[in-house]
Amino acid sequence: MKGADYCVMLFDSVSSTLLAEKILKGQEIPHKVIPVPRHISSDCGVCIRFSLDLRNRVEPALAGKVEFREICAL
Amino acid sequence: MTREVDARGRACPEPVLLTKKALEESGEITVIVDSRTAEENVKRFALSMKCRVRIERRGEDSLLFIEKPLSAEASPEAPPYPASGPIVLVISSDRMGRGDDELGEVLMRSFIHTLGEASRRPETVIIFNTGVRLAVQGSAVLEDLRALCNEGVRILVCGTCLGFFEIRDKLAVGQISNMYDITETMLGAGKIVQI
Repeated sequence: MKGADYCVMLFDSVSSTLLAEKILKGQEIPHKVIPVPRHISSDCGVCIRFSLDLRNRVEPALAGKVEFREICAL
Repeated sequence: MTREVDARGRACPEPVLLTKKALEESGEITVIVDSRTAEENVKRFALSMKCRVRIERRGEDSLLFIEKPLSAEASPEAPPYPASGPIVLVISSDRMGRGDDELGEVLMRSFIHTLGEASRRPETVIIFNTGVRLAVQGSAVLEDLRALCNEGVRILVCGTCLGFFEIRDKLAVGQISNMYDITETMLGAGKIVQI
C-alpha cells in the first residue's frame, strides 16, 4: 500500500520541516509529517511525506521559502 | 429477587458505582440509565465481572438486566496480579515530552505514526488529560489512531477529560471510558508505556 507511491522530503532542521508543513498546509497540498525512515537516516528527525505525483506541486510551493536537503523515494 | 437500580440522571461514574454496590448485595439486578454512555459503561463493568447482561431500550431509557455468575471464582473480588499481561500505552498529553510545545506536538504525531509500523502493538491505548484532543475531529493523528483501532487496538478515551474540554461530541476514534476501566486496565497490564 505505502510502497513506492510516496517520497519523503528531508530538511536540515525540525523548524524547516515545520515551516514547509505550514506552507503545504496553506496551499492544501496533501502531506504528512513522519519520522525520517530508518533506512534513509538513523538521525532522529522528521520529514514530510507526500505522494510521488505531488512532487511537481511541492517543490515550487517551497521554492525560495524553505530549503530542503533532498527528496527520497520510499 | 431482582433488585432495581434507577441511575437515570446520574453523572458518570455514578451508574457504575451504583451497579457495583447493587451487585455486591444481590445476584440479579436491573439497572436503568438514560444515556448511551452510561449504558455502555455499566455493560462493560458487568461483563468485566463476568455477569450476563441483557439490554432493553425503552425510549430514552436503557434497562440492563444483569445476572451474576454462579461460580464463586468469578466474584468481584480483586483478580490475581497478572504474571504477564498486555502492553498498555498511556497517553497523558497531546504533546510528547515537556519543553517546547511546537516540538512536542510534532514528536507526538511522529510517535503515533510510528506506532502503526511497530512490530509490537499495545493491546490498549488509554488517553487522558490534554491527550484526548488527539482523538477528536480535526486531530492530525486521527487517521493513525483509526488505523490502530481497525487493527484491533482498544482505545479508551477519558470521558471526564472530553467533558472538561467540552469536546465530547467531537470524539472521532475510540470509546468513551471512565476511571474504573482506566484503572483496571492499567493494573491488569503486563507493561505500561507512558508518554
